[in-house]
Amino acid sequence: MRLSSGEHRRLRRRYKLRTALTAYLFLAPNLLCFAVFLLLPVLWLAFSTFRTGGVLGPAEFVGLDNWRETFGDPLARTSIRNTIVYSAMAIPAVFVIAMVLALALRTIPRGGSPIRVALYLPTLQPTIVAALIFTFVLHPDFGVINFAVRTLGRDPINFLGDISLALPTVAGIEVWRGTGFWTMMFLAGLVGLPHELFQAAELDGAGAVRRFVSLAVPLLRPTFYFAVIFATIVNLQLFDTVFALTDGGPANSTLTVALFVYRSLFSFGEIGFGSTLSFILVITVLALTGAQTYLMRYRS
Amino acid sequence: MEERETRFPFLRLRPLIAVLTAAVILAAACGGDDESGTDAPDQPATTTQASEPDTAQDSDGSAAAEDPDEPAVQDSDGSATAEDSDEPAMADLSGTIGFIKGPHSAMEAEFEQQIIDDFNADVAPNVEVEFSTYDWPVHVAELTTLFASGSPPDVQYLVDLIYPSFAEQGQLHDMTELVNDPSWADERAAISPFAWDLAEQQGGTWGVPVLGAVYNIFINKDLLEEAGVADSWDDSYESMLTAARALTTDDVFGFAARTSAADFAWWDWYPYIHNAGGDVLSDDWSSCGLVGQDVVDAMQFLIDIHTAGVAPEPGSLTNQGLFDAFKAGKIAILHHETPNITDLNANPPDFEWDVAFAPPGPQGQTVMGNFGILSIAEASDNKDAAWAFIKHWASAPQVGRFAEQVSLQVVREDIIDDLFAENAAMAKVQSDLVPRVQGLQPHPQILEALQSAWPVAEDAFRGNLTGAEAIAGMCDAIDGVLAG
Repeated sequence: MRLSSGEHRRLRRRYKLRTALTAYLFLAPNLLCFAVFLLLPVLWLAFSTFRTGGVLGPAEFVGLDNWRETFGDPLARTSIRNTIVYSAMAIPAVFVIAMVLALALRTIPRGGSPIRVALYLPTLQPTIVAALIFTFVLHPDFGVINFAVRTLGRDPINFLGDISLALPTVAGIEVWRGTGFWTMMFLAGLVGLPHELFQAAELDGAGAVRRFVSLAVPLLRPTFYFAVIFATIVNLQLFDTVFALTDGGPANSTLTVALFVYRSLFSFGEIGFGSTLSFILVITVLALTGAQTYLMRYRS
Repeated sequence: MEERETRFPFLRLRPLIAVLTAAVILAAACGGDDESGTDAPDQPATTTQASEPDTAQDSDGSAAAEDPDEPAVQDSDGSATAEDSDEPAMADLSGTIGFIKGPHSAMEAEFEQQIIDDFNADVAPNVEVEFSTYDWPVHVAELTTLFASGSPPDVQYLVDLIYPSFAEQGQLHDMTELVNDPSWADERAAISPFAWDLAEQQGGTWGVPVLGAVYNIFINKDLLEEAGVADSWDDSYESMLTAARALTTDDVFGFAARTSAADFAWWDWYPYIHNAGGDVLSDDWSSCGLVGQDVVDAMQFLIDIHTAGVAPEPGSLTNQGLFDAFKAGKIAILHHETPNITDLNANPPDFEWDVAFAPPGPQGQTVMGNFGILSIAEASDNKDAAWAFIKHWASAPQVGRFAEQVSLQVVREDIIDDLFAENAAMAKVQSDLVPRVQGLQPHPQILEALQSAWPVAEDAFRGNLTGAEAIAGMCDAIDGVLAG
């Protein structure tokens, strides 16, 4: 049987439509949830930045007042600065430590499993448990570290009560919690790399550092791409650890954007202001993700 | 393709399979875990319910309403009320009301159950009271969420720090008519006028004042006597600093106060500011009230005493940690709260202790206290039962017993002399400290003003700011809140 060109076009369109329809049907649940639980709330959030009230009282349109207030608020600027400084400390630190551990684990021929389990355990700790653990580690009076410090004849260190130490301490705790996860992530990436390339490079006289820099790093680019984006998104939203350990103190030195949003919305009832700060956080995360995507996917 | 579908007939069903699969994925994606569907998200975890009695009973268990000669409706103290009031007879009240309160004791639920049992036995046998607690550190967020849900508990215990905000936003029922009902006039008159002043704001009455929390100083008398400062430590601020220096050793801090916002540290700071004639807000509540050299000097004194090496490093000990250190004999003069008196009486430390208040300042010698009111939610659909329960809770026998149980102060003037007969420290608090109480200004944004300004004080207590710089910074924050 020979089809006419018109018949052929019609059947092709029908096939494409049916294929596309099937695909959309499979995607529909995800798209629906995305729209209901993410897209609509974000749009509503954007709308809320131009209003005040609306939770315990009637909403009122205020134009750009919330935006002016947010950018003029010194505490909002402090929270943004703290969040960026924290992320700049925590993300590189956890990546370096996790990569070193992953490289070490990769070279262990036997008995690596218990070490991997031990490394991953901190990631499994709920925040409140981690907070309790670090109370016993950092407390100026009975903390393990300060016990050692006093044994050496030095004054105890007020890790979470010192304005200059509190944020780095929180970053350290988050690094401790995240190291296991990122170690496993990098280890999975390293294990998946083709051995032949490394063997060939070794035969060609490339040292370990050269093999890592010239082979492993470029080949791990997809892993790094995911890691940087995911870690950025997670760390910019830091809330639970500071909520449990410092409540933003001392003197706002650990006040993060997410904690300030929570305070604005739930403690002070400033719905418009809190919404605006939240929306800025959303936009920042999206912008950073976009920039990182561009830099890592297209520029390299 | 038709050939493939002939060989594999189920391929004809692809659209149907796709739809079914999509439905399954949708259910899995949107359904969440099973637990989320069973938990009531707006109900606090700690909940006790008063079981509805079959017959009205006295608290000792004997039947109260069975005798036709007995008045059917009685106040907690036994006086008849229903007959001389326009309100619905108490026995006619029915339904369920919710009551939420922050805990003042680990045994809060048990103490509340006693009040509820008496309520069911003596007042309203057909009203079921569901008691729940909120957590103090996050109580504003919890209450905001409950009010936002549209179905908050009917009755709330609210402190003066937060109720004005909820009143301003229309969440609380204006109880002016209820509290001015002639049938309740005697009870109203028993409550101190200053307490009513705190409950009456913005043109309405937002609750019945019931309890007060006084922020006192605990002293370790043994240490003070050893250091020879027992009689002089509270003569003046300078005397207190001198005493703290004399008391401080390698093992003991001479002085300690709370310093972090998370611990509501401003309660320990307030007396020094009030003693200097200052307050957070100006008299007309339109601007910062931290003005004048006396206020700056008071702040400088607090900075000095925190940086003189006589106090724990700011932020090094939590609220509970400070009190535990006092109990262990490691702190000689400690700013804290009266509910800890219960702990000291139950588990006496191996030293003599007493309660006291801050030395006099240039403008007076005040004590900080804040107060709690029982409010009715505007959204409550059982306001009659809620009002009956509040009247019962605020009655002399109930509030008096509760205050003794948790070591809090009462605002009823008619029972002060009868309370704390077995508790010398609380008797002293009630007789010596309470009359000096100067409370906070119940502005709708007072909490935000304090939380915004306090980080400046935290910075100052670490020696990073002078008194003048700290007061200027705190005023900037307070004015910013008022302007916003």
